Amino acid sequence: MQTRLAAFLHDAAVLHTFADFIEEYCKEQARSQRYVDASGDFFRYSESVAHQIKLKIGNDVDRAQSFPPAIALSRIDTLRRNALTFKGYLRLLHTLIKPAADAHTLSIPAPLVKLACEHLKQIEGMDGSKVVVLLTPQLMYFQRPHSHVKQQAAIVGRLIPQAEKFPARLGFIELPYSQGPGFFTNLAIYHEMGHFVYEELSSSPSPSAGIRALQRATHKSVTEFVKLERKPQVRKLAEKILDSWTQEIFCDLLALYLVGPAFSFALVEIFALLGSLSRGKRTTFSQEHPAPACRFAEHLRFLRDASTWWTAIAHIEPQQKKLLAEFATIPRERYRVDGDDAPKALIDPFLDSIIPRIRELVREIAPDPKLAAARFDKTLVTIEDCLSVGVVPHSSTGSPPEPVSIINSAFCFYLTSLPDMVGRFEEGPGASANAEKRSKWTRKLEDWTMKAIEDSQVRTQFERMERDGPQQGRNS
Amino acid sequence: MTPIDLQDRAQYLSLALFAQEIVSVLMQYVDEDKSDNLRTTLNEALISLRDAGSASVSGRRRAAAFASYEQLRTLDEVWKQRERDKARRMIQVILRKPRDPKAKPAANSLIDLFSKLQDQALWNFEQPRPVSPGDMQRLCRLA
Repeated sequence: MQTRLAAFLHDAAVLHTFADFIEEYCKEQARSQRYVDASGDFFRYSESVAHQIKLKIGNDVDRAQSFPPAIALSRIDTLRRNALTFKGYLRLLHTLIKPAADAHTLSIPAPLVKLACEHLKQIEGMDGSKVVVLLTPQLMYFQRPHSHVKQQAAIVGRLIPQAEKFPARLGFIELPYSQGPGFFTNLAIYHEMGHFVYEELSSSPSPSAGIRALQRATHKSVTEFVKLERKPQVRKLAEKILDSWTQEIFCDLLALYLVGPAFSFALVEIFALLGSLSRGKRTTFSQEHPAPACRFAEHLRFLRDASTWWTAIAHIEPQQKKLLAEFATIPRERYRVDGDDAPKALIDPFLDSIIPRIRELVREIAPDPKLAAARFDKTLVTIEDCLSVGVVPHSSTGSPPEPVSIINSAFCFYLTSLPDMVGRFEEGPGASANAEKRSKWTRKLEDWTMKAIEDSQVRTQFERMERDGPQQGRNS
Repeated sequence: MTPIDLQDRAQYLSLALFAQEIVSVLMQYVDEDKSDNLRTTLNEALISLRDAGSASVSGRRRAAAFASYEQLRTLDEVWKQRERDKARRMIQVILRKPRDPKAKPAANSLIDLFSKLQDQALWNFEQPRPVSPGDMQRLCRLA
């Protein structure tokens, strides 16, 4: 028994040290940096859980030394196993805490993140939700699946009731650290935010009609597909694949409803960066993603048929727009999978039964996209005029342009007018073909765009204060 | 996009915590004669075990555990059908008559079973494996 006890004491001491570090680290971050949205809430939660785990492990060490001999061995093993499980939970928090600490306001596009958080709260069923931004070392945008963290936090809360409760409706979004200060590719956070929305809405105890219809369609597709299969985990695998594909299309459409074609352009840039536009990959479905061609077909369908955006951007013909149209016209018969990477036969039910339900669901919860396209149409010329002479977009006669108009106008300008702008500001022949100079002026364009959004946000806050009074304004 | 290994790891940790909660309430019941949360926790375990074995796909969204590929795979690795049946029987014995003399030995058996499940979930959390090629081939052949 002494050996088992000694092993448990060792594990307990290791866990105590680990929890102590997390507690102190979270305290320090909350004191020393400024963050957007909910990072402070997350640090406070982690600090509290780490502190309570230290107390719990102290109590368990006392218990371990007082079990009756007949049951001592098995009970000490249980306490040791529990300590390892708590350590696992702290490890998961640990993987989130450092990237969250790195994502302070100086290292991320704060006005864009703030705008995305405001948009998030306007989605039906998402009021009161908050986001923690993380910076990842990987060159990819992620949404950390928060529903597992929530589920784990709920059990930890029951095992250690003294710990602070996990903040309600908290999502995690990761940006690659190299893209942190940029703007255009960071529009991908709208897609990642969509994963958070999907997880929240689909795990709601009272799901909306749109969610229920989507769940029924998925259930029917899976049931028909696996009807002869008896092994539960194989059936679950089919459901998992369809769920991943569903989420990708849902997130793309939600992002399009919220920020319009600028999101499609950003996604083309990201796919190009990752090499996902090659001939082989454009029609390939993987376990996690529908083929880029399938995704862009949905983009085009939304821009052209479900909104007025395609007409609003008719005046520009950048490569990104042509590529979107080219991918969208690839016939579905050419969609494929790589060997046994995913079941090809799931593609048809996905396209025929599930995607129509996703479209309905997004239409049900998102704002009307026609309004944003109309506002864009009105302010496009003003915004482009400002950018072309190196001025932060503004209106000389009234309120600043609305953020979605700024984003789309700036992206259109970036795709079509950057060489002219470089030629206007840089001396020497061939300046517009110089990669370094293009990069420099792209960054400037991104900075002006972000400043214009920030100005618009300040103006909105001011107007809200004027309308509702200081108390309401401060709370919002 | 979601980072796959973290998602899968998180599934295993959720299962380990689920097992830990069951073991904790059973230990309180056996060692201290306390039955706080006993009924709720065992009912959740029973529903999860029943749904894990059923052919229905939809019901599992309600279950506290075994609602994902990774968790079902862990269950498969650690408990044979015989042990699943035994766990269900033992839970029912405790739920029906918690004061019956047979209930506490049943609780001790359950502690052993769920401890094994917790161990395996922790192991898989440490050493996550990708989707089994065998399972994927089987799925691809269904078409």
